[in-house]
Amino acid sequence: MATINLSSTHTFPCLRSLSSLPRNTPALSFNSQVKAKPSLSLRSISLKPYNTGSDKPRTWLVASAVKNLGETDPIVLPGNEEAAAEVPSGTGVYAIYDKNDELQFIGLSRNIAASVSAHRKSVPELVGSVKVGVVDEPDRETLTQAWKSWMEEHIKGNGKVPPGNESGNATWMRQPLKKKADIQLTPGRHVQLTIPLEELIDKLVKENKVVAFIKGSRSAPLCGFSQRVIGILESEGVDYESVDVLDDEHNYGLRETLKKYSNWPTFPQIYLNGELVGGCDILTSMYEKGEVASSFKK
Amino acid sequence: MGVTKDQVEASLKAKLNPSHIEVIDTSGGCGASFEIEIVSEQFEGKRLLERHRMVNAALEEEMKEIHALSIKKAVTPEQWKQQQESTKPDAAAA
Repeated sequence: MATINLSSTHTFPCLRSLSSLPRNTPALSFNSQVKAKPSLSLRSISLKPYNTGSDKPRTWLVASAVKNLGETDPIVLPGNEEAAAEVPSGTGVYAIYDKNDELQFIGLSRNIAASVSAHRKSVPELVGSVKVGVVDEPDRETLTQAWKSWMEEHIKGNGKVPPGNESGNATWMRQPLKKKADIQLTPGRHVQLTIPLEELIDKLVKENKVVAFIKGSRSAPLCGFSQRVIGILESEGVDYESVDVLDDEHNYGLRETLKKYSNWPTFPQIYLNGELVGGCDILTSMYEKGEVASSFKK
Repeated sequence: MGVTKDQVEASLKAKLNPSHIEVIDTSGGCGASFEIEIVSEQFEGKRLLERHRMVNAALEEEMKEIHALSIKKAVTPEQWKQQQESTKPDAAAA
């Protein structure tokens, strides 16, 4: 029997794509439920396609949130990556097929159109068509179940995990944003600075469009507020630089100097075009009003 | 020993003369973490950044002990009124 070990890193690409979203603080855990419901039969449950109305009461049978993988019609993506594709922008599960109709990857996304478009840019040779299951009321459980049901269905039919979901395969992870390293203001604590730290900060925020001073690194923020700031910037696709104010080796004295420089007592601090935008509360409020993309990407 | 909710409230009241204020201690008792909602006429004509600066300045002493301060709302009485009304659509419809 084909089994999938859901507690392993097979789920990693999905974890990454979801965990970069704001407010999605607890990491998704895929490990317990599958074994708890071994008899879950997908075919016996009534399934609804994503585009029918929301008049149906929501069922607690979460597996019914999306159609079977086999029953979902593929959306063929035009070869030209600039050409628009009719991929829904909602939240849900998606399966990428290459040009030979081989399933490459099953992912979860809060914005399927954006994720698919990112995949088309980063690995155009592996993206031929996509199947999409939009989840109308996307809570964690429902999304996880939708993703698992597609994975199980594929594994049942093919005996193996899609190549992109294999452990260690990073092809489908959001790379361009994650790859960027945090900026370090000095080579190390032992090096005597020739210009004051304040001038370094000034140069940094004026020469870079968006700079986030955070606690921890951008890939592993160490405070909830910093994490939310990173989540918002990344989910909105903002290109930004980050500086870890807790890095006392490379950014020694930064916390105290920056507080004085900005006249702002807390971290994170977000700068746009050399000016302080504010901290987490202000960025969150801009995000809720839908102002982040327009302000930061101009 | 950290700051108390009452201290935070007292400082904000003394300096910003708020018409409404709500301070929630989110630290679980150690006094290092607060959430604030504040309505004051003094915010009139000020950007959100400046409003937050005013709150931070009013709490300058307390901030030395506070680890996390979340300013959920810093609005003018006019904005407050609008927000209160818009959050009760059911009452209006009934």
